[in-house]
Amino acid sequence: MGAVTDDEVIRKRLLIDGDGAGDDRRINLLVKSFIKWCNSGSQEEGYSQYQRMLSTLSQCEFSMGKTLLVYDMNLREMENYEKIYKEIECSIAGAHEKIAECKKQILQAKRIRKNRQEYDALAKVIQHHPDRHETLKELEALGKELEHLSHIKESVEDKLELRRKQFHVLLSTIHELQQTLENDDKLSEVDETQESAMEADPKP
Amino acid sequence: MDHAAPSPVPLGQAEVSQALQRLHMTIFSQSVSPCGKFLAAGNNYGRIAIFSLSAALSSEAKEESKKPMVTFHAHDGPVYSMVSTDRHLLSAGDGEVKGWLWAEILKKGCKELWRRQPPYRTSLEVPEINALLLVPKENSLILAGGDCQLHTMDLETGTFTRALRGHTDYIHCLALRDRSPEVLSGGEDGAVRLWDLRIAKEVQTIEVYKHEECSRPHNGRWIGCLATDSDWMVCGGGPALTLWHLRSSTPTTVFPIRAPQKHVTFYQDLILSAGQGCCVNHWQLSGELKAQVPGSSPGLLSLSLNQQPAAPECKVLTASGNSCRVDVFTNLGYRAFSMSF
Repeated sequence: MGAVTDDEVIRKRLLIDGDGAGDDRRINLLVKSFIKWCNSGSQEEGYSQYQRMLSTLSQCEFSMGKTLLVYDMNLREMENYEKIYKEIECSIAGAHEKIAECKKQILQAKRIRKNRQEYDALAKVIQHHPDRHETLKELEALGKELEHLSHIKESVEDKLELRRKQFHVLLSTIHELQQTLENDDKLSEVDETQESAMEADPKP
Repeated sequence: MDHAAPSPVPLGQAEVSQALQRLHMTIFSQSVSPCGKFLAAGNNYGRIAIFSLSAALSSEAKEESKKPMVTFHAHDGPVYSMVSTDRHLLSAGDGEVKGWLWAEILKKGCKELWRRQPPYRTSLEVPEINALLLVPKENSLILAGGDCQLHTMDLETGTFTRALRGHTDYIHCLALRDRSPEVLSGGEDGAVRLWDLRIAKEVQTIEVYKHEECSRPHNGRWIGCLATDSDWMVCGGGPALTLWHLRSSTPTTVFPIRAPQKHVTFYQDLILSAGQGCCVNHWQLSGELKAQVPGSSPGLLSLSLNQQPAAPECKVLTASGNSCRVDVFTNLGYRAFSMSF
């Protein structure tokens, strides 16, 4: 088990840091300089070595602090992304619902359009036929004319009857007069012959 | 260096005859399965092919998904008309109607469940059955065709109940009026007749060719296609494609297309029609052409809209006609692909 984790550690270290560049080298250098400082002779050299070691140490601390901050940042970025991901999922679901809603509305609008077009089609046909009021008016006017004309016809017929009757009376009166004249003629003829017969008789 | 010329592969007799068959094939009728996932197509050689719409429409469709899953020999003559009930496929050809079970149809060697022949006046005549119509309210099937009569067959018992006479020439197409149980039939004699099923009599006759607005005497007077939407009817063929108001028997809109239309249907607020051109025409009720979508056959004979609620992802328009191909329009605006026999 120790070997496995060692392998992983080695792999990780190789991946991250190569072999010797950066922080690892600094720590090795620190150890070496510590040994050198222990073995140093003079005061100044020791002091300068000491200063150098302190600076290396602070550099190491600084880089570690940086790594920790980066790690925190990564964690927070992950959270942020999770949040955005959830929001996007919600908005996708909302968009799906809106799409379904809009589809229903489209169907409704199509039905309405179809009804309107049917109405228009029928209206066009109806427009071809003339207006009902006008036709009624025309009918009324025609009726009145008809009545008027029938009145005139009646009066003309009455006049005709009257004239006919008068003419008839006239003709019959003329006939009677003719008859009377003829009768008178006949009577006067008979009288004349009787008179001539009587004149011839008394002469013996 | 000499290189051998590639030897030509000799085309065998069988391949030549197969290619000729495909060239001269006409698909007369289509029908969608009750589950919505399969499409049956019948051609002029009497064969029916079952296509799997769900496979052809899925995202991993390959070339084989556009070929039929199974084809079988159904009639001796052409299969002029097909309808589906919720369990059966009914197909009609020369003189007889056969029923097949949708559940069995995908297996090889499918046999018909039953076959029936309507009573013809003489036993010698074998008139073709041009149109089938299901009347769900009384569970019956109406057949109409070459003998100028409409026969009603009860689907439960298989007996022929009525024979409606009135047409003087053969009947091309049938349509059902939803609200009142009336059937419209259009035929070669140029008249659209309305029959009331309850009294088995003709209630209204519209002689389309007598109206000046739509008659086209140079094409003839035949009515090739009929569709109805309760108060309205659209019919076409020899006369121009016209929208009629049934109550007043007046033609309201004439659709300006010269080619005779062979199939028409109402869809949402549009009228879809197809006929002698290679396009499916989308019309608005006002007479405007909204779209003209070209298909792959030189002339179209049949349109089918898959509106089965069980398979909303297979909601497509399929068109077939004078070729061995069935065009699939996924969103009505363009031809997505074609399946072929």
